[in-house]
Amino acid sequence: MKGIVFNILEEMVIEKCGMAAWNELLETALPDEDGAFTAGKSYPDENLFALVHAASAKLETPAEQIISGLGEYMFGELAKRYPIFIEQAPDLKTFLLSVDQVIHTEVRKLYDDPNLPSFEYTQLDSGALLMEYRSPRKLCILAEGLIRGAAHHYQTPITLSHPTCMHTGSDHCDLIVEFGDEQ
Amino acid sequence: MSNDDNPYIKAYEREKRARLEAERQLEDSSRIIYKKNQALEDSYEKLKSQQALMLKQEKLATLGTLSAGVAHEINNPLAFVASNVSTLQSYLQLYQHVQTLLETHYPRETMVPALRSYLEANDFEYINEDAEELLEDTLEGLKRVANIVQSLKNFAYDQPAKRQSADINEGIESTLKLLKLPLEHIEVEKHLAPLPNIDCNPSELNQVILNLLTNAADALDGRSQPKISIKTYLNGSEILITISDNGCGMPESVVSNIFVPFFTTKDVGKGTGMGMSISYGIVESHGGSIEVISEEDKGSEFTIRLPVT
Ligand code: HEM
Ligand SMILES: Nc1ncnc2c1ncn2[C@@H]1O[C@H](COP(=O)(O)OP(=O)(O)OP(=O)(O)O)[C@@H](O)[C@H]1O
Ligand SMILES: [Mg+2]
Repeated sequence: MKGIVFNILEEMVIEKCGMAAWNELLETALPDEDGAFTAGKSYPDENLFALVHAASAKLETPAEQIISGLGEYMFGELAKRYPIFIEQAPDLKTFLLSVDQVIHTEVRKLYDDPNLPSFEYTQLDSGALLMEYRSPRKLCILAEGLIRGAAHHYQTPITLSHPTCMHTGSDHCDLIVEFGDEQ
Repeated sequence: MSNDDNPYIKAYEREKRARLEAERQLEDSSRIIYKKNQALEDSYEKLKSQQALMLKQEKLATLGTLSAGVAHEINNPLAFVASNVSTLQSYLQLYQHVQTLLETHYPRETMVPALRSYLEANDFEYINEDAEELLEDTLEGLKRVANIVQSLKNFAYDQPAKRQSADINEGIESTLKLLKLPLEHIEVEKHLAPLPNIDCNPSELNQVILNLLTNAADALDGRSQPKISIKTYLNGSEILITISDNGCGMPESVVSNIFVPFFTTKDVGKGTGMGMSISYGIVESHGGSIEVISEEDKGSEFTIRLPVT
């Protein structure tokens, strides 16, 4: 996982709970690390999960909720860092369709060897968008949060369902986005 | 509040480490980009020179086809002109014999005045001699034309040659023997490493060596401490032959035209300019390549590469 994801988690924790809380999380979750994260550098995925679990314990909140929250927060931060991707897409659906082939493709140019998921898209007759998520990191909940963050940004109400999941033995996750204003 | 209590002190130190790391990363990427750019530029240069080489080979191939056509066209009239001239030579002998018979059996005094004054007005003794010489020179000239035509054909080179297994080093040794006289005052240094026999046309390859050595000898004309060195060695699946001299060398304008048929810097009658183009054709037909590097006033080095079959 790239440092940028840790940076965003850090910002989220500091914004919500303060600097002391983040220091404490670092000390409990990663006692052997120096806690400095550089955006473009890769760090072990376990470190992120360790931080998430420490936060989950401290806040007495399920880890999924923290990851999902991180996703939502992450969207805002990514949008701040890379406004061009948002500007290029006039609406939420166009934006989501561009994640795999445009945005993450650009990310591959900017970051050295990033670990990115793959998305396959199907536009359903109902107007909903089916995103098939595949990644060995199984961060589908982060993806959910990112989608929610995007929906919030585009001020488009959505209904998100997740009927097939890698965490229940499937080889991929189905994320179905129904767009509120089309109903 | 003490430093230990202020959580921002820790945060600040973390930030600093992160920033230093980011700067280091930036430098690393710059270095990588610089290297990649360098590699790209290198391959671009290589591509460019390969393209130039391809253009040159294409040009030579076109010239080859053209020369084959020209050679063919010249050959036919050349054949009957040569045969007519030798017939004329034998006719001339007959006329000359008639004249001798006339002069011995009918002394001048006994001739009719018209014939006698005609014979006296023209110097037939000289005419006879000159006519013979003229015809001989003509035949000689025709022979030279025939040679040039043959060279053109060799350059065009489409007849599949007879191949046999041969040792390149032996060919070099026998060619050197042939050149004993022209190389008399030149130091010849040989480093002939043992080579596997290859399938080739040995007499043609000898011709290539001969052309290279005569050119080297020409380039060494009038130079001090003239020296030619001949090296052969095996490099992977290739035989390399290098022939270098410390002669006059060539400017770029000569190097880039050296394989072009009839390109010569030598005086008329001295060089036909076919030596290197024929050699090029021969080496190509063996699946090999020939390269030159040369520096004016320093010398030249020719490298022939032949695949081991
Ligand atoms: C401005 C838009 C976006 C940018 C610049 C961006 C960039 C990134 C970056 C830098 C990473 C980290 C890669 C690594 O750790 O090696 C990442 C991971 C990820 N991105 Fe995006 N992303 C964007 C939008 C989205 C959206 C909208 C989604 C969801 C549909 C998404 C789904 C993911 C997921 C799930 C991961 C975690 C890695 C994994 O699952 O294997 N991204 N992205
Ligand atoms: N070793 C050398 N050193 C310097 N110049 C050379 C050398 N070899 C070839 N050249 C140059 O290349 C030209 C072409 O060589 P090439 O052998 O094709 O023709 P040539 O020697 O002029 O005539 P010929 O047909 O009799 O060989 C030469 O006229 C000479 O200028
Ligand atoms: Mg020559």
